Amino acid sequence: MNQTEALLSTRGLTVKYPYGDVANVVIDELDLDLYPGQIVGLLGESGSGKSSLALAIMGLARHPGVVSGEVNFRGQDLLKMDDEELRQIRGNSIGLITQKPRQALDPLVNVGKQISRVYRAHSQASKVEAQIRAVELLRSVGINDAERRVSAYPHELSGGMAQRALISMALSVEPDLLIADEPTSGLDVTIQAQFLDRMWERARDANIAVLIVTQDVGIVANYCDRIVIMEDGKITEDRATVEFFANPHTDYGKKLILSSGADAKASNADVAVITSPEILRVTDLRKTFEVDGGKRLQAVSNASFQIHKGRSLGLVGESGSGKTTVGRLILRLADPDSGEVWFKGGRIDSISPKEFRKYRSKIQAVFQDPFDSLNPRWPIERVIREPLDLHTQLSKEEKLARVKELVSLVGLTDDILPLRPGSLSAGQQQRVSLARALATEPEFLILDEPTSALPPAARADMIRLLKSLQERLDLCFIFISHDLSTVRELCHDIAVMYLSEIVEMGTSEQVFSAPSHPYTRALLDSVLFHDPSNRRVDRKIKTELEGEIPSPVDLPQGCYLAARCPLAEQRCRDDHQELIQIGPSRSVRCWKSVEASER
Amino acid sequence: MRRYVLRRLAVGVLQALGITIAVFFVIRALPADPVSRIVGMNPTPESIKQARHALGIDMSLFQQLLTFLGFHGDGVFTGSLGKSWVSGATVLSEIAITLPTTIQLIVTSFIVALAIAIPIGMATARRPGGKLDKGVFGYGLFAGAQPEFWWGLIFIFVFYFKMGIAPAPLGMLDPELTAPPAVTNFVLIDSLIAGDFTAFKSALGHLVLPVLTLSFLLVGPLLKMTQQSMSRVLSSEFILYQQASGLEKKSIGRSTLRSALAPIITLTGILFGFMLSGAVLVESVFSLNGLGQYSVAAVLNLDFPAVQGVILVISVISLFVYLGLDLLLAKIDPRILVK
Repeated sequence: MNQTEALLSTRGLTVKYPYGDVANVVIDELDLDLYPGQIVGLLGESGSGKSSLALAIMGLARHPGVVSGEVNFRGQDLLKMDDEELRQIRGNSIGLITQKPRQALDPLVNVGKQISRVYRAHSQASKVEAQIRAVELLRSVGINDAERRVSAYPHELSGGMAQRALISMALSVEPDLLIADEPTSGLDVTIQAQFLDRMWERARDANIAVLIVTQDVGIVANYCDRIVIMEDGKITEDRATVEFFANPHTDYGKKLILSSGADAKASNADVAVITSPEILRVTDLRKTFEVDGGKRLQAVSNASFQIHKGRSLGLVGESGSGKTTVGRLILRLADPDSGEVWFKGGRIDSISPKEFRKYRSKIQAVFQDPFDSLNPRWPIERVIREPLDLHTQLSKEEKLARVKELVSLVGLTDDILPLRPGSLSAGQQQRVSLARALATEPEFLILDEPTSALPPAARADMIRLLKSLQERLDLCFIFISHDLSTVRELCHDIAVMYLSEIVEMGTSEQVFSAPSHPYTRALLDSVLFHDPSNRRVDRKIKTELEGEIPSPVDLPQGCYLAARCPLAEQRCRDDHQELIQIGPSRSVRCWKSVEASER
Repeated sequence: MRRYVLRRLAVGVLQALGITIAVFFVIRALPADPVSRIVGMNPTPESIKQARHALGIDMSLFQQLLTFLGFHGDGVFTGSLGKSWVSGATVLSEIAITLPTTIQLIVTSFIVALAIAIPIGMATARRPGGKLDKGVFGYGLFAGAQPEFWWGLIFIFVFYFKMGIAPAPLGMLDPELTAPPAVTNFVLIDSLIAGDFTAFKSALGHLVLPVLTLSFLLVGPLLKMTQQSMSRVLSSEFILYQQASGLEKKSIGRSTLRSALAPIITLTGILFGFMLSGAVLVESVFSLNGLGQYSVAAVLNLDFPAVQGVILVISVISLFVYLGLDLLLAKIDPRILVK
């Protein structure tokens, strides 16, 4: 593929941030070539200089950085151009999509004006023409009621919509090179898949060069032709994707591939009759929150499930699906509007907080943000000891022994005990949270996205740890996550949630091998496997969902998915769907799926 | 929007009234007797009693308050602030003379200060550590370390005494000129109305040094705020994105300034309220008969009606200034909801 001439090549590209007399070198004498029609994935840990490189390619640096070296774009050095020449290339021949879509938009100006400004900067269009074009562009990236949205301000848009607005700006002038800096990091998986598919098609059809900055091995494996790894401002590996996955050279690369062992088979799932006693039962749980203007946001509705000893339930869904609220209701961090929660035969949703206290040591939790959940002023020893102080009558020595035991249980060593949370890595912090949760030997755990805030390698370690604990301690837990591969590996049973409802339930094996609900299918389809030989773009049939997740405040009358579902009929839009059992331990909230299962 | 303004005004009026009533009681709690200033040395008990009656402070505190508010004849509710115990003139008429002098001084000073602070602040934010930035830092240390009247004296010494290019620091007009007929009591405006350009030029000349002194001090905080606010916006994601989108420099500059403006506007409002009475030292150095001077004299003379009047007027003006600024901020930033 190197016969074609490079569209852009950097030579000795350097980015420095001056601090007084010394300079912090972020990009160090870097050479990189980008070719038309090729999608390049730029990987590296945070702080390796990936984002700085994405900008430096356009001759830009974050204020007050300085770019030097050569950036040859179609034979011309961008860094030697005057401001006006450079301006005409930026946003015209080279488009940029940044990581934080909402921050990339001017908060004081409405979206339509911002899009038309970019358009007018590179064309002779009048204000009115540009405004019309802005509406067209917004519609072309799948924003419904674009006429109304052009006058929206950035703070009135969701992350996904702001991202679309940015994309429409970057593509408004048909660039030859598109730079996308973690373009999907704030997006839900189904929206991410939509976006990446479209970008991939664009790159293929218009023969444009794309540079994607990412930390996600799945994105690279599925969409990139070539992989570039950066460490400390330098390129340490630069190869074709397939070669890289077969045999990574750098340690970082090896770690990445290793951490992607997450495509494992479903855990020891079986439909055999479960004989172990029931630990938790939830029936018809419902919770709404009041939002501005007296309306009510429906967070959870009609959630029912039970969990038996030694089993684990994965609660899966995108942001706003209500999965976290279910966890909070069980933990009594919020009270349900209606419904019941039973723990080992005792009802716990309606008892007084004082009575509930004795259950606290039996029901423990680990939350998403590892640092926020630990008191930053306490040494680790005290953090882990706290539940022992509260719930046990152990002596000082016994407590210390227990703390040490817990620390080694989660794979840490005693020497972290005097440290404070701030000096641990995110992965270690999360292990400490887990050790604290296990301190009182709880019978039930709620793990709310415990792996989501961790870097890829730490995430893989955490999953391995949870898996081994599951076997050793016979743990019983709910695992809340939007990450399907993790859930598949850890959980016996799965409940898929969409917009406050459980839409499908079954064992991991059942749901993953034969998803029934259209939403589950789309969710599974949008999983990006870490395997360049099984790419999403190569799959023939895709279940694609259209558009945005509706607002949980104004829910549709019929099936909540109807507006996005490719299979939707009139009946779907009219009738609200019930969760119907279609087999042993398996139910689905879709009349079409139910009919299909009966055939 | 209109409801918001009306509500703000209603609340503001209550606040102003509350402040005035509080002041009314607080000054009367001072361990000082206003009568002693009036009756002179060796007063007879008779004359003291008479003076107390004349000032109305022989009544109960509550009755005094009712009188002040206008329940017995003219008072705050009927638009009267009473008569000064020192001069006998109405407080309102005295404020009507002194307030314009002060407003004229500080408004001009703010215009000058903003005209200096914003461009320099923008430039230094763009090039931190540059020559201009170092110069500004030096100025900050230098100007901030010395009191304003001192700078006033230095400017008089240099520009009037040594160089002779500034008029004598005595009031708003040359002594040989007659003041233009008072219409607004703003000398600059009145002289223009009268078509008296000699007086206008003289008044402008007399404003130069006090304005220089005040703006020399105002530039400090305003410049600092502009710098910080600008460098925050310059390093923001959306300015970077506008550069990456190839927008014209002018257009990016406009976005930057607009985004950086809010804290500068807020600071201007705070400083303005403060300067209404805080310009007193500059007023005395340049013998300007302004509100600051008037209020200090009122306090020293225990002229209760004048003190109450000045405080009420200042709080009402501040109320309007803050309201105006809030509306301006809401106009600039759509995230600030005016409900």
